[in-house]
Amino acid sequence: MITEIDLDELVENLMQCRRCGICRNAVFEERGFDGVCPVWRNSSGFETSFMRGRIQVALALLEGVLEKTPENAEALYTCTLCGNCTEICAAEFDPAECLEKVRAVLNDIPNDVRDSIAEMIMQYDNPYEENSQLKRNWVEEVGFEITSTGEVLYYVGCTAGIRLPNIAKSTVKILKAADIDFAVLEHEPCCGSVMLRTGRIENALTNAKRFADIIQKSGAKRIIITCAGCLKTLTEDYPKMGVELPEVIHITEFLRDIIESKKLKLKSLGKGIKVTYHDPCHLSRALGFYDEPREIIKAIPDIKLVEMETNRVTAMCCGAGGGLRSYDSELSKKIAADRVKSAVAIDVEMIVTACPFCEHNLTAGADIIDQSMRVVDVVDLVAESLTLKGNG
Amino acid sequence: MDKKIVTELSKVVGKEYISTKKDVLIAYSTSASMSYENVIPDAVVRPGTTEEVSRVLKIANKYKIPVTPRCGGSSLQGEVIPHSNSLVIELMRLEDIVLYKDLRSVTVGAGVTFGKLDKYLNKHDLWIPFYPGSALAATLAGNVAVNGAGFGSGVYGCIAELVMGLEVVLPDGTIIQTGSEANPNSPGPFLRYAFGPDLTGLFIGSLGSFGIITKVSIKTHKRMRHIDYNTYGFNEVEKAERFLLKLKENDINAVWVALYEGRVLEFFLEMVGEEYGVPQHDWPTFTVSVAIGHVRKDQLQSDMKMAGSICEQLGGYVIGVKELPKAEWEDRMRELARSSYVHGWHWRILYHHQPPISWHKSMDAIWSVMDEYGVLGHTAGFLSGHGSYNWYPQIYFDPQDKNEEERVKEAHRELARRLFKTGAVPFKLAEYWKDAIEGMDDYMAFLKLIKKTIDPNNIMNPGVLGGI
Repeated sequence: MITEIDLDELVENLMQCRRCGICRNAVFEERGFDGVCPVWRNSSGFETSFMRGRIQVALALLEGVLEKTPENAEALYTCTLCGNCTEICAAEFDPAECLEKVRAVLNDIPNDVRDSIAEMIMQYDNPYEENSQLKRNWVEEVGFEITSTGEVLYYVGCTAGIRLPNIAKSTVKILKAADIDFAVLEHEPCCGSVMLRTGRIENALTNAKRFADIIQKSGAKRIIITCAGCLKTLTEDYPKMGVELPEVIHITEFLRDIIESKKLKLKSLGKGIKVTYHDPCHLSRALGFYDEPREIIKAIPDIKLVEMETNRVTAMCCGAGGGLRSYDSELSKKIAADRVKSAVAIDVEMIVTACPFCEHNLTAGADIIDQSMRVVDVVDLVAESLTLKGNG
Repeated sequence: MDKKIVTELSKVVGKEYISTKKDVLIAYSTSASMSYENVIPDAVVRPGTTEEVSRVLKIANKYKIPVTPRCGGSSLQGEVIPHSNSLVIELMRLEDIVLYKDLRSVTVGAGVTFGKLDKYLNKHDLWIPFYPGSALAATLAGNVAVNGAGFGSGVYGCIAELVMGLEVVLPDGTIIQTGSEANPNSPGPFLRYAFGPDLTGLFIGSLGSFGIITKVSIKTHKRMRHIDYNTYGFNEVEKAERFLLKLKENDINAVWVALYEGRVLEFFLEMVGEEYGVPQHDWPTFTVSVAIGHVRKDQLQSDMKMAGSICEQLGGYVIGVKELPKAEWEDRMRELARSSYVHGWHWRILYHHQPPISWHKSMDAIWSVMDEYGVLGHTAGFLSGHGSYNWYPQIYFDPQDKNEEERVKEAHRELARRLFKTGAVPFKLAEYWKDAIEGMDDYMAFLKLIKKTIDPNNIMNPGVLGGI
């Protein structure tokens, strides 16, 4: 169980680190690495800004060498948990997963940001707003009825529902065009991802049980997800917590199959549009969805998909994950700006991604460097190119 | 550290690049060196230019603060473990690369790693045919400071042989340039031995005791695209050793040559054989794993034929299992990380060189110490130049078993003593050699004199270079 962390085993795992330092900025051309830690690249760059140093701090805190204060624990939270360090690490342990566990074990160290997010979620079913009804406001704008129960459930998630409702609108437009009967819950709970990432495990477990209960009552047999973070939480973390759900599927997997079966007709968005795809860490490195979104993009006529210097398994993070966007918003946006620069370097018109959290942060990153780079979710791109079957 | 000094330092590097935070200092109290006591420094700075390094050293010298220069933090023998009440100067922000294609050289800042430079040079069909096993984390400047060896050393020797010149900040803050670039009108690095004695050499292997290397100018070579991998078997150690020597005598361009004793190879393949795709094989008593590289295919074919012929003339045979040297060579960028992890223990390492014909002397010393002290380990090595073989025995311990760690430390000290008596030499005079070396009083006195002359306040990494 994820809630039962064996401290001895955790320390033993942390000591697997031989401090070789390749988790900092390794450039390993043969395997596609051009740097590893996005935080190291975009911060003052002290040892505590990448995994080797974070592990030293974690051990010092766990062993009582370092006093448990918010200031001493900063290194634990200035990490996006993107997993690029895990990808390059030769050791037989998962550094990013270990850090997440350290956050849970040391959750007695005060952290106002972490705690206020957890309290928001537990009280209002989302980390952003006191009025959780805002999550479904977008439904009124789509121009057709959406039921709140059904066998296929579109789980929107908090970020798309509140911050980026376009993703939700595009998704339902696609589902309707493909003649899929679907529902969107009237009162959608939060998946609790951020509580898991930041160490509020007990709250996350309580929330997960409630989540499963709501889903069960809705009668859903299949859940479609557009958020990479929600997907990882529901498919990887919930089973570890002993919480069962019906089948959970990401929109890119679902959509690729629909496109392959010719249920949708996609039209050109213009000749020679050059786009790149940003791999969301939770969708790609964590769950292995690399080809699905790319195949969807390539199915749109006349679009040219080009890759950034780091892509797929070695893709640099957008900076939003692991609670960093809330813990240190400025650093998070700097990381996003760095990622946007990678897209600018290959002269593309837009960055396509498949996670509202990534889209939200990359857009913020583009803003701080005054780049007019358009950032869209893959569902927005498909919805734009959509013509209803027969209307060619 | 006095607040006044911290303020002075922050005026040089900017507030963003100085830290006295306890968590940060703890992270700098250690490195990839295992089984060394962590020492927490007083402050860390990350200067962004050579001029900033110079101004920082002037302040450190004025207040007589011990300084630990640090790049990738991947060294293994305690070179960048700080001192009490000291200042760590971390150089990873010095990231410039300037290529002098027509001079066949490149100049890199102290923060440039081998991996980064390799990708850059590959675009120009060039490389530095030298890869320490820590190439993904280690910087060229750090490697020059320890005079490392690695993949490619079979032909090109330790990194010292490739260096054309250095930019160094002396303990008093003076910036000097060695090699042809000492001439301000020079087009760049094209000759190391310029303007008299080899001042470049003074800083190579100095472990940061004489100054801080801020830039390295180094030879570039056309990238070899033709590589042959093969294994050669011998039943007697003398013949295997002679094979190593003959490869050099016949100018075989063997960039990687590793001689394995049967039981050592067996242990090694138990750890990585499957991952490396090495087929099951009834290995001989001694196996030589070889990668021959060339720019031209005809050169390669000639060398391949000659290597096989030399082997057979010595009474050996061509094994023909290519997967072992191929995997070793292809893993050259992260061999340290790989070998660190495959066995699951922490370890102390004892780098040293022997002539190839004395290979067995190191092997004997290593086995005898392991047996006597009841410790587990592994050893490997490779041809490292004109007439030398680099050994890197590792002695393992469980990091959570303090008794075992102490026993390993004692075994390590004893091994250094025995190796010295066999005629072995360290290419870096790590601190623990001071108790192992004998009959070198005049040499050590001269070294101390140089240190005292360059660094009268003894601020530069005191005690690290052979205890000086």
